[in-house]
Amino acid sequence: MNIILSAIGGTIVLAIIGIAVGLFLSGIDRRIVARMQARIGPPLRQPFTDVKKLLTKQSIVPANAIPWLFNLMPIAALASSIAVLMYLPFGSLAPILGEAGDMILVLYLLIVPSLALVIGGFASGSPYATVGAQREMVSMIAYELPLAISVVIIAWRLMAANVADPFSFMTLMETSVWDVAGPLGIVGLLLLLFLFMWITPGELSKVPFDSPEAETELAGGILAEYSGRNLGLFSLAQAVKMVGIIAFGVIILLPWNLSPVFGMTGAGAAVIDLVFFFVKVIVVSILSVTVVRTMMARLRITQVVKVYWFVFGGIGIAAIILLMLDAFLMGGV
Amino acid sequence: MIGDLITGYGFWNPLIWIIVMATGLLFAWLIWRCGESGYDKGTEQTKPYLSGNDEPPKSDVHIRGGNMYWGFTHALKGYYDKLIPLHSGVVNDYLTWFVIGVIVIFVVVMVI
Repeated sequence: MNIILSAIGGTIVLAIIGIAVGLFLSGIDRRIVARMQARIGPPLRQPFTDVKKLLTKQSIVPANAIPWLFNLMPIAALASSIAVLMYLPFGSLAPILGEAGDMILVLYLLIVPSLALVIGGFASGSPYATVGAQREMVSMIAYELPLAISVVIIAWRLMAANVADPFSFMTLMETSVWDVAGPLGIVGLLLLLFLFMWITPGELSKVPFDSPEAETELAGGILAEYSGRNLGLFSLAQAVKMVGIIAFGVIILLPWNLSPVFGMTGAGAAVIDLVFFFVKVIVVSILSVTVVRTMMARLRITQVVKVYWFVFGGIGIAAIILLMLDAFLMGGV
Repeated sequence: MIGDLITGYGFWNPLIWIIVMATGLLFAWLIWRCGESGYDKGTEQTKPYLSGNDEPPKSDVHIRGGNMYWGFTHALKGYYDKLIPLHSGVVNDYLTWFVIGVIVIFVVVMVI
């Protein structure tokens, strides 16, 4: 009974926190992009204002659309983005549902918002949105390979070090993969960190991996027909997913907390670790999303596949080899 | 916990996931309900946006199943160019590939 109440209450609390942090991250992103382009940029609260305004605008359902599917997908995208947060630890705060799901589940849950976008795009019956939806599907196939490599090899390295439940987030809170890895393993983990920095913009359809939306080419592509509250909900889903994917990367590859450094315990430790966790999320967001999208142009969809499968896939395989060698040399296997 | 699925390494609880999704859907629906619902049905605004161009016949612009993964198949063209001719439609060919596959798996598992 307790876990059911935790699930319901936690979902509502984390939904509010996720939306607030996600929109705040979007505000930081837009502000820094503007400064890097020698513009002043919008205030940090601009994404909040945008969503508020979208909720007051007409939400047009195109004549060709399948209305119920078209309207349902933004709701499904936001709900599934919120669900991701339920399984993640934040700093030294254990995940609300840490015993009800692991890293593999989060991998699958991260796909759901993108799938909702794809279904919504196809359901809108617009040529631009249909092409965008098709591209989103191909992008998903592309970035899932390096993402899966990153997660599985980290769990494998923990398992090789005789750590029980290597896919559990509770395990990751207690044992950092950096602590069990030797010199070769650390090089492999640095490669995975680099990999994750490039998976994040793909997951979020940000430049250079924004071909599903491609404003200048497809007029918003997958979202071309969405307006008003439906577009507002997709914006919220994107914001929450941004928190989810970056937090996921931070948890598996930048797991350190500040409280042990200061010898803190109890509520103070939880607060300082939580603050430090969100600082890491902001820094990763700036490096992997903001800076990348400012300095690069959009890749074609075929280039997206080639980059993720051949370049990042190759880097992932190199990381696998290094971590396996490390495990053999350290005597774990 | 009731409903836990344990694979040996991974685990999840679909019942809890359903509760989370149901709560999330309700939360998202409430926000959606707060938004403006009206629009001018049957007017120009419900026509698909095509940069001011007339909408071509649907058969010309809809993506067919065979083109669903274009981008992926084009990026891996070299691979697919070799793979597609192997699909001859002859059962004997497929059985031969199956036997070759089994032998390769056997060698990998038993020898390596």
